[in-house]
Amino acid sequence: MSVLTVTNLRKSYGTVKAVEDINFTVEAGEVFTIIGPNGAGKTTTLEMIEGLQEPDAGAISINGLTWKKDESEIKTLIGVQPQSGALFELLTAEENLDLFASFYPRSRKTSEVLEMINLTEHRGKRVKSLSGGQRQRLAIGLAMINDPRVIFLDEPTTGLDPQARRNIWDIIMKLKALGTTIILTTHYMEEAEKLSDRVCIVDQGHIISLDTPAALISRLTQEREMRLSFHDGEEAASQTEKAIQSQPDIVRMERDGANLTLWSVKPEQSLYDLLGFTKEQGYRVEHVSIREMSLEDVFIAFTGKEWRD
Amino acid sequence: MKIGNQLMKLFLAQLKTMFREKQVWFWNLFFPVILMVIFMVIFGGGDSSDFKAKVALVKPQSNAAADSFEAGLRKVPVFEWKTEQAVSSEQADTWIKDKDVDAVIILPESEEAGDIQLIVNTENENNATSQAVRGILQQYVQQASFAAAGVEPAFQLQSSVVSGGDEDLSSADFLLTGMIALSVAQAGLFGMVDMVELRRTGLLKRLRLTPMRMGLYGVGGMMVRFILSFVQIVLLSLIGVFGFGANLHMDLPTLIVAFFVGVLAFNALGYLFSSFSKSIESYMGLANITSFLMMFLSGIFFATSGLPDWLKPVTQVIPLTYFVEGMRDGMVYGSGFLTSTFWSGMGILALWGAGAFALGAFIYRKGKVEAR
Ligand SMILES: Nc1ncnc2c1ncn2[C@@H]1O[C@H](COP(=O)(O)OP(=O)(O)O)[C@@H](O)[C@H]1O
Ligand SMILES: [Mg+2]
Repeated sequence: MSVLTVTNLRKSYGTVKAVEDINFTVEAGEVFTIIGPNGAGKTTTLEMIEGLQEPDAGAISINGLTWKKDESEIKTLIGVQPQSGALFELLTAEENLDLFASFYPRSRKTSEVLEMINLTEHRGKRVKSLSGGQRQRLAIGLAMINDPRVIFLDEPTTGLDPQARRNIWDIIMKLKALGTTIILTTHYMEEAEKLSDRVCIVDQGHIISLDTPAALISRLTQEREMRLSFHDGEEAASQTEKAIQSQPDIVRMERDGANLTLWSVKPEQSLYDLLGFTKEQGYRVEHVSIREMSLEDVFIAFTGKEWRD
Repeated sequence: MKIGNQLMKLFLAQLKTMFREKQVWFWNLFFPVILMVIFMVIFGGGDSSDFKAKVALVKPQSNAAADSFEAGLRKVPVFEWKTEQAVSSEQADTWIKDKDVDAVIILPESEEAGDIQLIVNTENENNATSQAVRGILQQYVQQASFAAAGVEPAFQLQSSVVSGGDEDLSSADFLLTGMIALSVAQAGLFGMVDMVELRRTGLLKRLRLTPMRMGLYGVGGMMVRFILSFVQIVLLSLIGVFGFGANLHMDLPTLIVAFFVGVLAFNALGYLFSSFSKSIESYMGLANITSFLMMFLSGIFFATSGLPDWLKPVTQVIPLTYFVEGMRDGMVYGSGFLTSTFWSGMGILALWGAGAFALGAFIYRKGKVEAR
């Protein structure tokens, strides 16, 4: 069952076309990630879906409801962590949660949410004195206080250190396990790959591609990069280079001293042949690696642009 | 039930936010107290000795109205008369110039009710004595015209005058009530900076994502502001009375009406400023200029008679003018609740409030449409 349907969404600010013709559908229980560089239109897309911005064109349906007709009902169905995690600075974590709970006809227990976002220990601390990661967790806590069907997280991990980022991932996984539909934006490829069921790559207001992370990667050419280093030095590397050159699957090869880098469209076959040769010659290979393709390569392949975090 | 709970939570959240902010303590409580103490020391003499003003009377024409007016005035105990008889205006001018008298009161030229004038030396026009004389005279004139309108029997005039110009009416009373009015007005003008902050931090947006009723947020906020201003009044009054011997003659209904209307009106002005201020700095600038101008143009501490003619009408439209009069009616004059001046003053104040609120709400709504 689809929880969210977005069709032909458009939004311009003056001459800036922030969002141009965005379409997607999110299924119940999915983690759906929108990834793209700064200014790609992620926040604008989310804010239109959340009812904060009026789209110039297009339609949004949440659980079959529309903003025009069912505003108050939609508000109880969704939870939002905005990019600028706005909180009451002089209230404590617990007071913030209590206050937001009072806005909804039905809400989760404050203690339960504090537990989920791992802030029970800091419940009595004013927001002002919380760390960046703790604030972000509280912002996510406020988004889940009404036990929403769909939760929107706008760049929840941007600017956090790796440990704090992992803590947020844990919360997202917990929410997913509870069956909450999660719509997430990020500009960390690694995060999208790790957390999402499906990834929507956007650039300059357009969707570039939309699929599961694995499918997106496999859509790229099969060419893989492999690296080997030889214990026996330059001579062994250069001999191997010569011997393997004729192998038809190998597209390209580079040697730097005792290190050999090669690109192959059939990495398994190439490696098999290569290791056969070295065994025959009695060369000892110190290090072998096949580089995994990532979403980053997908982005580069589709846009021809360098990916910048 | 749910709405009551929501209002309670919103009220408590804003109450905690306000009193956990050190700036609030400083500007709304500590600063007015310091300012009042300084004013009291400079202008008020700092003692509770009886207040006396040396005055002279000019009566261009003798008629029934003028005579009875004069008779009444002569009974005001704080006035010490230079002569038993009315004098010529030339003579009075000389006395003023030589500072032989603090003030000269000039009665109307004819019976067809004209203006009663008060003349003070320019050098003294801003001091507390001149202010006090002005206040007493205004009070007296108000009572007299009231009586002339036949609403109340004339004999009551005497007693109300006595209470109006009470025997120990001191400049401390004037400074105290002026300071209270100024503090409450400033709390309103500056307090709505929260709204700008709410927008700047994105909290306003965040709240709009929830089903919260913005109206309840506003009501909760107003409750907090009333509490703050109430604390201001109590604190300043205690210091004024026990530290500087101010004498209060409370008329509770009058005070309550003036307080409510005033707090609402000045908060509405602050709300209006917040609706079009993009930054805290611009809001603060606006509130500062407004409160500064009002302080000088309303005549709460300084006489406005020295203002150029084209500026004088401004005094008559400034809300602080009416607020301070209303608060003085309720706190020191002890004059009843049912005077037309009081109610017309409150009306003007309320008009300011309603107008500012309506315009602010309109700008907010328009801004929201744009942002959407
Ligand atoms: N309120 C606004 N006014 C003008 N331009 C805006 C506004 N909000 C966003 N934009 C522009 O729209 C584009 C998309 O912005 P945004 O949705 O915030 O991107 P992202 O969240 O992917 O970083 C950017 O070029 C940004 O400058
Ligand atoms: Mg963004």
